[in-house]
Amino acid sequence: MNFYNSVNFPINFNNHQDISESSDIIKHFHTPITTATSVLGIAFNNGVIISADILGSYGSLARFKNFSRILQANKNTLLGVGGDIADFQYLKELIQGKMIGEECLEDDIPLKPASLLCWLTRVMYNRRSKIDPLWNNILVAGIQDGKPYLGFIDKLGTAVEDKLIATGYGAYIAIPLLRDALEKKPDLNKQEAEELMKKCMEILYYRDARSFNKYELAILTTEGTEFKGPIEIKANWSISNDVCGYE
Amino acid sequence: MILANTESNSSLKSHNTRFNPYDDNGGSIVAIGGDDFVVIASDTRLSTGFSIYSRNQSKLFKLSKKSILGSSGCWCDTLTLTRLLNARMQMYLHEHNKEMNTPALAQMLSTMLYYKRFFPYYVSNILAGIESDGSGWIYSYDPIGNVEKCKFRAGGSSGVLLQPLLDNQIMLSNLQNIDEQPLSLEKAIKIIQDVFTSAAERDIYTGDEIRIMSITADCFKEEKIQMRKD
Amino acid sequence: MFLTRSEYDRGVNTFSPEGRLFQIEYAIEAIKLGSTAIGICTSEGVVLAVEKRITSPLMEATTKEKIVEVDKHIGCAVSGLMADSRTMIDRARIECQNHWFTYDERITVESCAQAVSNLAIQFGDSDDDGAAMSRPFGVAILFAGCDEKGPQLFHMDPSGTSFQYDAKAIGSGSEGAQQSLQESYNRSMTLKEAITLILTILKQVMEEKLNSNNVEVVTVTPDKLFHMFSKEELDQALENVTPLIKDEGEASTSRK
Repeated sequence: MNFYNSVNFPINFNNHQDISESSDIIKHFHTPITTATSVLGIAFNNGVIISADILGSYGSLARFKNFSRILQANKNTLLGVGGDIADFQYLKELIQGKMIGEECLEDDIPLKPASLLCWLTRVMYNRRSKIDPLWNNILVAGIQDGKPYLGFIDKLGTAVEDKLIATGYGAYIAIPLLRDALEKKPDLNKQEAEELMKKCMEILYYRDARSFNKYELAILTTEGTEFKGPIEIKANWSISNDVCGYE
Repeated sequence: MILANTESNSSLKSHNTRFNPYDDNGGSIVAIGGDDFVVIASDTRLSTGFSIYSRNQSKLFKLSKKSILGSSGCWCDTLTLTRLLNARMQMYLHEHNKEMNTPALAQMLSTMLYYKRFFPYYVSNILAGIESDGSGWIYSYDPIGNVEKCKFRAGGSSGVLLQPLLDNQIMLSNLQNIDEQPLSLEKAIKIIQDVFTSAAERDIYTGDEIRIMSITADCFKEEKIQMRKD
Repeated sequence: MFLTRSEYDRGVNTFSPEGRLFQIEYAIEAIKLGSTAIGICTSEGVVLAVEKRITSPLMEATTKEKIVEVDKHIGCAVSGLMADSRTMIDRARIECQNHWFTYDERITVESCAQAVSNLAIQFGDSDDDGAAMSRPFGVAILFAGCDEKGPQLFHMDPSGTSFQYDAKAIGSGSEGAQQSLQESYNRSMTLKEAITLILTILKQVMEEKLNSNNVEVVTVTPDKLFHMFSKEELDQALENVTPLIKDEGEASTSRK
């Protein structure tokens, strides 16, 4: 059953590996080109919520302004991806191939989020070991054996599980806010988690220059999945004139 | 838990920098072997640069009834190595109809690390185990498979900070007029708690919580001790 | 004798309608042409003995090696096609050293026998690693060794089946020898008694007259490990055998 391995992807055409292996001069200069910024995730009392904006940046240019990067892998797993968009699209195909492979088994045993995280960790680690990484951060959110599950993988294949996850600038800006909120109330409900998430996305929009005023939210509970958005942030820049250093 | 990856935010800048397949995720391991016990501890902080991935990630891996591995450094290598180790343990069990003993595991780990001599697992490994005579021993490794058998060892981000402390507290080096007594498990755990507290004061990559696992002839125990979380 | 098998004994991978693989059965038959080898396991150690057929007085008897050291603690006695046995002994030695290299411990006798069994059944498989072997090995092997479970004896045949035995005989005289082993073996026998028994039985089944030139004896004990008997040791061991032989002198001739 190697269905998903047999799928070929256009990424192979602009992959420099073949050239570099035959030549000493050209080395791997794999760097992200079109990128997406932070992804946030919170595990609350009976589910998980993740969010990411819908911008694809080409350097400082806001290149793609309606680019969704939250996927539903199966009925109990959501994925949020940041980093290089081309690599994300390759990953998306790969994951969808994997999911079709799983479905073909027809055993009614959906892949659990932790298993998907483990599989993706191997994918990412194998690529980094070829010195040809997929330049992404992947957030895996879902329901594992009836309990909320949240995990994260980076481009090296570093995998971590936690109740809060934020990638990119979110690691610096949103994490303190999230940890603070969770310290005050460790067991958030869905509504509180959603409000907290919206607040973090707004603050990230004010501070992260590669973020965008439109974002998506996905909430997965035992009842099912809810996609929201694009949600527009009604930013208020009127006080910016009064902020020292921003004039 | 976080990713502080500024590269993806300044995408067009880093054209000439080569991709670095390694990361230093920090974390410390301390292990002590006694006449009839072995104890190993790790902190639970997983970091990258100045941010913390997790405050709740133990770096101890129970590989068999008689041996525990502590592994810290590049976390993605730790994950891969320990998965491979578990698979090898299982294959050994099936092939030879017995659980791998500590010296065999120690040797296997050394060869596994050396097989990646020119693209090493960037991890500091400390293996704690009970041997066939019931005594506890520690095997410590460098990333490419050099192995040393000893009675106590500190490794990871605070390894160099803690080893002299252990020399003093366990080997009782540089002390005068002391009566030497065999080390008990309780005393060993107290020393571990003290040295981790010291490490957390000075090393930003060590902190949050200590996880301690101990093995004696008749039982396996696991405990947690809180540490400073800043 | 095998007239009915004509259709199904060509390919090594073709079952007959009765569910048999004739090439393997023929290979097992080939063992019965080989010289006799016997192994006895006692609580003190294992003893192996083989007859060496000296077909010509001009032949250098010491170059006929039928018991070999595989590792310090494992010895093998072989019967059948000697050339085939070299490949298998090579594999056994590699497995032993590989185990020592990886695990810093002696491989168990069982694992060693199992490793060689894996080689024995690889005939007919061709894959990326290499082409198929054209036929099964025509060799049976006795593995004698001492590991953490104590002294042990294993037998492996060309089908790759391996089992542990208290005492086992292979080769041309194996049927008679196995019968004698069954009658005379007991678990409480000493190694010395086992050596005497093994030589006695070998004497019974051998066509030539038993002497220190046409027999090889090896013991594997927990302290001395693999030990091949020198000519002097053989002569000494044979002294215990002679009187017994005398007693049954008439019986053994009638057996022929």
